[in-house]
Amino acid sequence: MRLHYDQATEDFRAELRAWLEANRPQPEEMSREPSQSSAHLPPWARTWQRRLFDAGWLVPGWPPELGGRNATPVQQMVYFEEFAGSRLPRALNPQGLSIVTPSLIDFGSEEQKQRFALPSLRAEITWCLGMSEPGAGSDLAGLSTRAELADDGFVVNGQKVWTSGAQHADYCLCFVRTDPDAPKHKGISVLIVDMRSPGITIRPLPQLTDPKQADFNEVFFASVVVPRENLLGPLHGGWSIAGGSLAHERGMLWIDQASSLERTVGRFIELAAQALPDGRRLADNAVVRDQLAQLYIDAQALKFMGYHGFATFARQHVSPEHSVLKLFGTELERRLFLTMTEALGAAAIDVSTPTGRRARDEGPTAVRYLRSFAGTIAAGTSEIQRNIIAERVLGLPRR
Amino acid sequence: MDFAFSDEQTALRSSARAMLERHCSTAVVRDLVERGIAPEPLWARMVGLDWPALAITESAGGVGQGFIEVAVLVEELGRVIAPGPFLATVTQFAPLVRECGTPEQRDRFLRAVATGATGTLAISGPAGDWRPERAALTARPRPGGGWLLDGSVHHVLDGGAAEIAVVARLDAGSDGDGIAAFVVPRGAARSEPVQTLDLSRPVTTLRFESLTVPDERVLGTPGRCAAGVGRAVEEATVALALEMVGTCQRIFDTVLDYAKAREQFGVAIGSFQAIKHKFADMFVALERARATAYFAALTIAEDDERRTLAASMAKVAAGDCARLLAQEGIQTMGGIGYTWEHDMQLFAKRAKQGELLLGTSAQHRQRVAELIGLTADASTAVTAPVPA
Ligand SMILES: Cc1cc2nc3c(=O)[nH]c(=O)nc-3n(C[C@H](O)[C@H](O)[C@H](O)COP(=O)(O)OP(=O)(O)OC[C@H]3O[C@@H](n4cnc5c(N)ncnc54)[C@H](O)[C@@H]3O)c2cc1C
Repeated sequence: MRLHYDQATEDFRAELRAWLEANRPQPEEMSREPSQSSAHLPPWARTWQRRLFDAGWLVPGWPPELGGRNATPVQQMVYFEEFAGSRLPRALNPQGLSIVTPSLIDFGSEEQKQRFALPSLRAEITWCLGMSEPGAGSDLAGLSTRAELADDGFVVNGQKVWTSGAQHADYCLCFVRTDPDAPKHKGISVLIVDMRSPGITIRPLPQLTDPKQADFNEVFFASVVVPRENLLGPLHGGWSIAGGSLAHERGMLWIDQASSLERTVGRFIELAAQALPDGRRLADNAVVRDQLAQLYIDAQALKFMGYHGFATFARQHVSPEHSVLKLFGTELERRLFLTMTEALGAAAIDVSTPTGRRARDEGPTAVRYLRSFAGTIAAGTSEIQRNIIAERVLGLPRR
Repeated sequence: MDFAFSDEQTALRSSARAMLERHCSTAVVRDLVERGIAPEPLWARMVGLDWPALAITESAGGVGQGFIEVAVLVEELGRVIAPGPFLATVTQFAPLVRECGTPEQRDRFLRAVATGATGTLAISGPAGDWRPERAALTARPRPGGGWLLDGSVHHVLDGGAAEIAVVARLDAGSDGDGIAAFVVPRGAARSEPVQTLDLSRPVTTLRFESLTVPDERVLGTPGRCAAGVGRAVEEATVALALEMVGTCQRIFDTVLDYAKAREQFGVAIGSFQAIKHKFADMFVALERARATAYFAALTIAEDDERRTLAASMAKVAAGDCARLLAQEGIQTMGGIGYTWEHDMQLFAKRAKQGELLLGTSAQHRQRVAELIGLTADASTAVTAPVPA
């Protein structure tokens, strides 16, 4: 137990910090060509990710040939702390870098790794993740998009929904039913689908905050042919990939979230101490002080819970305990914006300040409150996280 | 930041747990609660294991370890709701003497603690305000030498301790920071036992009527003790938070076992989603409290500048956890949770009493608000609430 890292770890941090400072993309180029979706990489983003890859700073825990430097778990943690603090984008195609690529590396053939994993790491291709369907959300195993094996490969028919970045992605990691007669977990396979294949139709779905902004989409598959060699892992063995994929996303995500929440709470505390345009000072209100203190404590606690989890269960692997961080972190984010919206009162309904796509970090408070539901719904709702904690962590019986 | 305990600390925890499971069953707790029998043999055993000496420097006859070791023990004591003088002696009396005493006083009183003498701390008034500047007693110099103490001090844990460290305010207008600390022996003040919610943790009210304290029992320099008292109280607060985490863990384990075993409608009650989700929320509360308490323990152990803030955060998180766990602990047991016979009432009361001592969650949130710069502006303090 100690508060500080050893000198070697601090040296690692200093090296990263210096490298980021010397190699970072410039604010002007980033704002000139903002990314349009979670699978759209503007030229500066491609250059930036390629630079991270070449220098071994993209996924430091991996070996150099995969864009890493065989960093230890503690070094990886410091890496995420430092990145979060720098406020630089690390993954502009997050599902590609944090979910798809690890799955390709864990389950892919050598040829698939060369053809798909490396180009993803080098920012040559981007991905969307085709899991959810109209009839299969929380109950992912209930998916019904069908893939039939024919002579020239799989023929895919069906529909995905909420597919983030599908309108810009080169490929989709697509979960399909290959054996409709098997029990639902046993008839699922995973296909790598070229998003330019004939038969794919993409319909962007604008988010609740803005009819002109769409990150996620509906994706329709009408007799889309997928070459046989694009099957990832065993036929009908896709369910274990689903678990593995989402687990990867969990990893050290809490560091980023804790850091961003800490910053946001800090900004609200500053705001509360100043006079608003209408003359009020929110810190004069004892209820607001109490709520903001609680939010401050919770943002700190999220960080401590992450470190404690890292020390006790997650030094080398991902585990169901991560659901605690996902649940607490996303609900905290939502409560933070709710609290501030209520503290501002009627002033919060004026949302005329412009909002950018880089969602969580900017925009009017009430809009950010609405955006925070992305966290409590996507990648397993809060209710599903509670089920996971109760059943897989605490061993309460399933029904 | 590394929250992993060392191998030695982990071994200390397992041996403490084994000892306490053997010698501090709830039968021992009930001996005190139901029959008033103090757990003398348990305390003797702790002394035999050098537990009170653990964090006292070797020069004063101690083992020379630090607050993390104390944290490990206190959490384990909370798990078995151990009665007895450990918390008051090791986490209240000893820190106050260490922080405020002269080298001679430290040697005298801490050497005694290391060999099993008991001590406690007396600071708050009836409202339980734990802050030094709100100390319940007043002190004034006695003509001809020594000091005079007046007032009533409440919620003193283990009021029968051999030595009592007391904190007092000096007259307005006196020099320095206005805070003084003393050590008075058992019997010096009038002692009134209080019938407490948690009978396994008795508290006492002490009344002082112009009690004379000789100079050798005046800790450090009167009017120069605010910082030291503040630090000692921080340490005591973090220790209490850690003890609460241990007790909350016990509530959690007890009720989790019950939810797996108890069947209704033909299934274990733990298979009902309403129950499952409560468990998930309890688990989150417990992890939040534990991680926050560990961070605070680290700030004490390393004397980090964040310790004041961390202590209040830890007490908030432990208090929130105790509030939830005491409530759902009883509720999830159903009728059996409402009985005297089931041990849940003992655990729930310990958690509840901890929540209310040394500052409630709401009080410590207020403290956190002040420390992070959220204060009512004096000029506009009487404003209307924010319009809806
Ligand atoms: C911003 C965003 C981005 C997304 N990106 C992607 C993506 O890129 N790819 C992809 O495949 N999916 C994506 N999703 C989909 C997301 O994973 C699903 O929305 C989520 O899993 C919930 O499924 P659902 O929407 O069908 O809701 P449902 O499963 O229908 O749930 C509706 C409500 O019922 C509750 N509920 C359901 N089952 C249970 C249960 N067993 N116990 C208790 N309560 C239950 C839920 O908690 C929820 O409150 C995205 C979603 C969002 C919001």
